[in-house]
Amino acid sequence: MENDMGLIVKTMARATIPLIGIFGAYVISHGHLTPGGGFQGGATVAGAGILFLVVFGLNEAKKRYDKNLYSALEGLGGLAFLGAAMLGLSIAFFYNILWRDKIAFAGQPGTLLSAGYLPIMNLAVGLKVFTGLVSAMMAIALFRRWKK
Amino acid sequence: MIPFQFVTAFLLIFMGIYAFLYKRNLIKLILALNIIDCGIHLLLISLGYRLENGVLPTAPIYTGYETLKGTPMVGPIPQALVLTSIVIGVCVLALAMALTINAYRHYGSLDINKLRRLRG
Amino acid sequence: MNALPFLIIVPLFGAFSMPLIKLISEKVRDIWAVIISAVTLGVAADVFYTIWKTNKIIVYTLGDTTPLGKGVGFPIRIVWEVDLLGALIAVTIAFVSLLAIIYSLEYMRHDTGLDKYYTLILILELGMLGIVITGDIFNFYVFLEIMSIASYALVAFRNDTWEGIEAGIKYMFVGSLASSFILLGIALLYGQYGTLTMAYLSQYITREPTFVSKVALAFILGGLLFKSGAVPVHMWLADAHPAAPSSISAMLSGLVIKAGGVYAIARILFSIYSISLNIRTLGWIIIFFACLTLIVGNAMAVIQTDMKRLFAFSSVGQIGYILLGIGIGLAAYGTDIGQIALAGAIYHTVNHAIMKALLFLVAGAVLHEVGTKNLNELSGLARRMPLTSFAFLVGAAAIIGMPPLNGFASKWLLYESSALYNPFLAAVAVVGTAFCTAAYIRVLFTFFGKESEKVKAAKDPGKAMIIPMIILILAIIIMGLLPWQINESIMIPTAKMLEESGKYVLAVLGG
Repeated sequence: MENDMGLIVKTMARATIPLIGIFGAYVISHGHLTPGGGFQGGATVAGAGILFLVVFGLNEAKKRYDKNLYSALEGLGGLAFLGAAMLGLSIAFFYNILWRDKIAFAGQPGTLLSAGYLPIMNLAVGLKVFTGLVSAMMAIALFRRWKK
Repeated sequence: MIPFQFVTAFLLIFMGIYAFLYKRNLIKLILALNIIDCGIHLLLISLGYRLENGVLPTAPIYTGYETLKGTPMVGPIPQALVLTSIVIGVCVLALAMALTINAYRHYGSLDINKLRRLRG
Repeated sequence: MNALPFLIIVPLFGAFSMPLIKLISEKVRDIWAVIISAVTLGVAADVFYTIWKTNKIIVYTLGDTTPLGKGVGFPIRIVWEVDLLGALIAVTIAFVSLLAIIYSLEYMRHDTGLDKYYTLILILELGMLGIVITGDIFNFYVFLEIMSIASYALVAFRNDTWEGIEAGIKYMFVGSLASSFILLGIALLYGQYGTLTMAYLSQYITREPTFVSKVALAFILGGLLFKSGAVPVHMWLADAHPAAPSSISAMLSGLVIKAGGVYAIARILFSIYSISLNIRTLGWIIIFFACLTLIVGNAMAVIQTDMKRLFAFSSVGQIGYILLGIGIGLAAYGTDIGQIALAGAIYHTVNHAIMKALLFLVAGAVLHEVGTKNLNELSGLARRMPLTSFAFLVGAAAIIGMPPLNGFASKWLLYESSALYNPFLAAVAVVGTAFCTAAYIRVLFTFFGKESEKVKAAKDPGKAMIIPMIILILAIIIMGLLPWQINESIMIPTAKMLEESGKYVLAVLGG
């Protein structure tokens, strides 16, 4: 069944999907410096995935989507977040030990490598949100197919 | 001064509640829930903007804070709250959509009055 | 080191690792879910024992050693604050969740997508545990939503049947509206006082109880009454609880309406508002809803023909008793009567969690073996499923309040305090119990009646379903043998701790 778009849309999408992905990655990695963060960036990257789904059709998207891989990555993102929160457990849950004790990510405030566990958490949340939203979208898109 | 942001927020909340009570289409009900949430978010976010000495506060962006030294900043807590609440809203929205699709499959209709098979 | 954060870490770890564990094998996944919930029970028991032993409120700050900000005298961080009530409910939650998970090993065996089922059930447990340990009102909202979303999804888990979907949709719309009300109330409180820590908020409200704080209380209380299934808004409960898989029904009826409803009401009323309001009026408002709930819930249970629906309506009725205890505790604040009523309410919360979990597990066993839950088709089950019927007998006797079982003590406390406070309330409570007895006697006659065609091939279910029931029966009997000891050593101190809101405030702010 034909469910993809025409040539112009496809060409434009080929050009924009990587850019959307890069912008999302930027929002995730600068989450501790600028507005935005893991959730917003992850949602942006998932937007690229949804654009792919809309433009190239479900069949093409299904080929590139592995359910087990995505749910495993989602779990991994959650575990990474939990691990980052547990780093300072000797003092308190969510204690920012990387920043306070200058272990890692302890540069000048305002630079990329600063703020302790925040960049790690942003990456973890970004991964989780991206995989989760893409999985949800794929589940909803696939649902229509079963009915026919 | 009339606090227009609060008026708008409560207007949105009441519009949402009206739609929730009087609309029968499942999709419209989901939209109504989202409108209520939007109203509450607007209320919360506008709580962060309090005039200090007649000066409107600026957004708390960390880079370039030297140039803004001395000017009041927006309360960061309401923004964190709204962000959390938006994330929760997205979860509810996704779940509601999935359930609505399932309901359409079982009942062939989006009318909430048709969802009346559970009795007793 | 403090064991408290592990109450959240362990179920969260279990839930997040479930998609990875599933890749190994299905057997490992099932065992993993049981291990995680058992460890959670251990942690909860440890926390409860610590607080009970020292009789001190545990305050745990996220991200630092002290909740107070640097150089300022007020809390700026998220705090977790656990008193005896929170710890007691946490133990109950962990206990019933463990049994529900063991039960679903067999009960859910024929379903697909079970890794998601176990993830959701662990997240449901996590949300409830978070509600009972938190001391920050927005954190409370977040955990409430975690719990609610997991329970919406679990009610609609069997999405190939129309019952689950319809009940899930109704539950979700009503629950989301209630959550929005609660969020609105919290937003109003934050706008008025500029803080989210419950203890600090309590101090502010005592200092200047404004009109806005009362409006906020109305919104929050309305939302929480929705969530606990009090009578004008109980219809979602009667739909959602029967339609869910039985192990989930046990958790919903036994735990969710307690943690997300009654416990939260008690916490908000006693710890945050307490003395700053006209507590007599407020108490009578709660008592009014309680009497309505008590009569309507139990009376509706009598006319049901669906077994699980009957149990769900009975849950509504029992929530009425708990609310009655809280209402009297509030109206007679500071007196002995109030304390007894409050102790009775807390006792009944724990008892009802155990009894109703047992009853829903019985209903699940019947549904699993016979394939119907219509009472007209189930007569004569006792001969074919003796153990299940015995479990039902114990559960029903306990919920009616027969003397040697645990329901007797808690109901007696409630009757006693309501009779001392206002005899009319005691009369209402006894009428409710009469309806309740009628409903359960009816099911009992069905079970022990003449054998019908449908039940000829039925037999007792397998080990994984029987063991949780036996554990619950033992819990009911043991708690029934020592009613006054439990009351003296656990329930009265819990009620005392809940009433002393000053200590709750001081624990965070120091001094």
